[in-house]
Amino acid sequence: MIRDQALFVSGLLVEKIGGPSVKPYQPEGLYKGLASATYERDKGDGLWRRSLYTFWKRTILSPTMQVFDASAREFCNVRDVRTNTPLQSLNLMNDVTYVEAARLLAERAIKEGGVTPEQRLAWAFRVVTSRPPTEQELRVLSRSLSGQREKFTANPQNAAQLLSIGERRNDARLEKTELAAYATVMSLLLNLDEAITKQ
Amino acid sequence: MNPGRELAQLLTRRAFLQQSVVGTAALGALLNEQSAMAAARTIAPRAQRIIYLFQAGGMSQLESFDYKPKLQALRGQNLPDSVRRGQRLTGMSAHQTTLPIAPSLFKFAQHGQSGAWVSELFPQTARIVDELAFIKSLHTEQINHDPAQTFALTGFQLAGRPSLGAWVSYGLGSENKDLPAFVAMISVNKRGGDQPLYERLWGSGFLPAQYQGVKFHNGADPVLFLSNPQGITPASRRQFLDDLAELNQQNAARFHDPEIAARTAQYELAYRMQSSVPELTDLSKEPERVLERYGPEARKPGAFAANCLLARRLAERGVRFIQLFHRGWDHHGGLPGGIPSIAGEVDQPAAALLQDLKERGLLDSTLVVFGSEFGRTVYSQGALTDKDYGRDHHPRCFTVWLAGGGVKAGTSIGETDDFSYNIVADPVHVHDLNATILQLLGIDHEKLTYRFQGRDFRLTDVHGIVQEKLLA
Repeated sequence: MIRDQALFVSGLLVEKIGGPSVKPYQPEGLYKGLASATYERDKGDGLWRRSLYTFWKRTILSPTMQVFDASAREFCNVRDVRTNTPLQSLNLMNDVTYVEAARLLAERAIKEGGVTPEQRLAWAFRVVTSRPPTEQELRVLSRSLSGQREKFTANPQNAAQLLSIGERRNDARLEKTELAAYATVMSLLLNLDEAITKQ
Repeated sequence: MNPGRELAQLLTRRAFLQQSVVGTAALGALLNEQSAMAAARTIAPRAQRIIYLFQAGGMSQLESFDYKPKLQALRGQNLPDSVRRGQRLTGMSAHQTTLPIAPSLFKFAQHGQSGAWVSELFPQTARIVDELAFIKSLHTEQINHDPAQTFALTGFQLAGRPSLGAWVSYGLGSENKDLPAFVAMISVNKRGGDQPLYERLWGSGFLPAQYQGVKFHNGADPVLFLSNPQGITPASRRQFLDDLAELNQQNAARFHDPEIAARTAQYELAYRMQSSVPELTDLSKEPERVLERYGPEARKPGAFAANCLLARRLAERGVRFIQLFHRGWDHHGGLPGGIPSIAGEVDQPAAALLQDLKERGLLDSTLVVFGSEFGRTVYSQGALTDKDYGRDHHPRCFTVWLAGGGVKAGTSIGETDDFSYNIVADPVHVHDLNATILQLLGIDHEKLTYRFQGRDFRLTDVHGIVQEKLLA
């Protein structure tokens, strides 16, 4: 669901219903040493379907799901387990899925969120958390954006690298360092406790 | 502790971080954790950490440590019913019309002051045999790999229960705040051995997920998603984390949810792992003579030798439970041809690991276990020829060795009959082994429980007797 949310807010989610299972992003060589099968990632739509449709291997769960306690189907789970692990943090920060989603969400924020940075950040915050940010929160986000923008402006090759992660490309007309800065702040939103926890 | 006061205290992030690295606020989980802490402190620990060298596939005890000279005279004879006593056969040998006895083609000799018998396939282990405590009488009910491995490492043959490492992590936590408490690494015999292993062998089952083992992968990122995406610099990531913490903290103040502070702690641990894991796997400062001791594969990522070296480094850094797996012992056929290669892959590194730990003064506080999920049959699976035989799975007796913290070195407990088929003295069930392992780590196996589905589960279920004879 966390993955679905990220795909949905970024506009990547392909809302097709039904069909065979798909194979989204997964770290290279995950099955190596554990099983003899290999994992061939899908290209295109298969990457961004609802997680419900992800190919399910019983003995090696997709890390994106396993790290968030997807049931291994060994016991009946009546209640969701609430957990906290550093692996979840690493996944949300560094998994291609979320980096790509952050990039596309950044694009949406720039195009649909308004004109000023504050407007765009507030728009994105609302899209992800379903509430407008407080003044304090908006200040933090603006500061974050400026800080990240400075860093990308000083090293524009980093921006280009960040924007190349994942299969879907951003709109080429958008300025790269600006987009990369927004993408980092969007990633921040997707990592908020509020974004990933049901209150 | 009063939950209300707990919540109030947890509001300050600093106070929370001072208490524990991981914490769950739900009252039930809190109670479970308190019980875990209580259970963990009732026994004086003999070892602070454990390295489990699991030999997956069923290592043949007849070709390693269980010497049976009388079999030579019985070569080719059918296994008597009086010995077999109705033991169920696997589907792989059930169809055989005869079960011909196959003595080992490999020579045994006695070694060390203890005079332990070791086969020629384990020369390095033979040299340090006085450090080891053998259990020749280990037994299980499980006859196939999945249930047997699951049983050996989770205490039950069906999936769903926490692994030994998860229980230990739950009971004792980590001595290192920058690395996971429980790490798993897998290697495989060069010649193949494509049997799968299961994540449940290092999983947390019904325990909270933070107790699961972190499996190290061979490749650029030993821990999945460890590296920042290309384009995100450490400075950028640090700012990200500071901003995230600030936003989450504002939320915490509003909602009074202690989980939020716990999550911040996890992000900080993730950040520290981004430095601590590369430092761990950086072998550039290891002296050459140490690397040589582990053998030619010490630098080959994914080899058992390399994993053993990493295990020592993990032990030095206070990682509590280090689980290695080496796959490829399942010699149903072609055993004489197949076993030298895999024995060669583990013999030298395992011995080197013990020596290395000893030199660094760590062996006394580190428990090392070397074992399999079951043993192999004395009769040949498939044709018995002058040069070739196979062995099927055998749960009724197999051999395991322990060394290090709290173990009585230079001993052997348990005896099997002349066929290495039945146990004649001091049977040790897998539950007993696990109870003993927990005991050595300072955990009362009967008291470390977790309430799930209305029952107080424990690793040893309702079984397990600590083997006092093994304790120094």
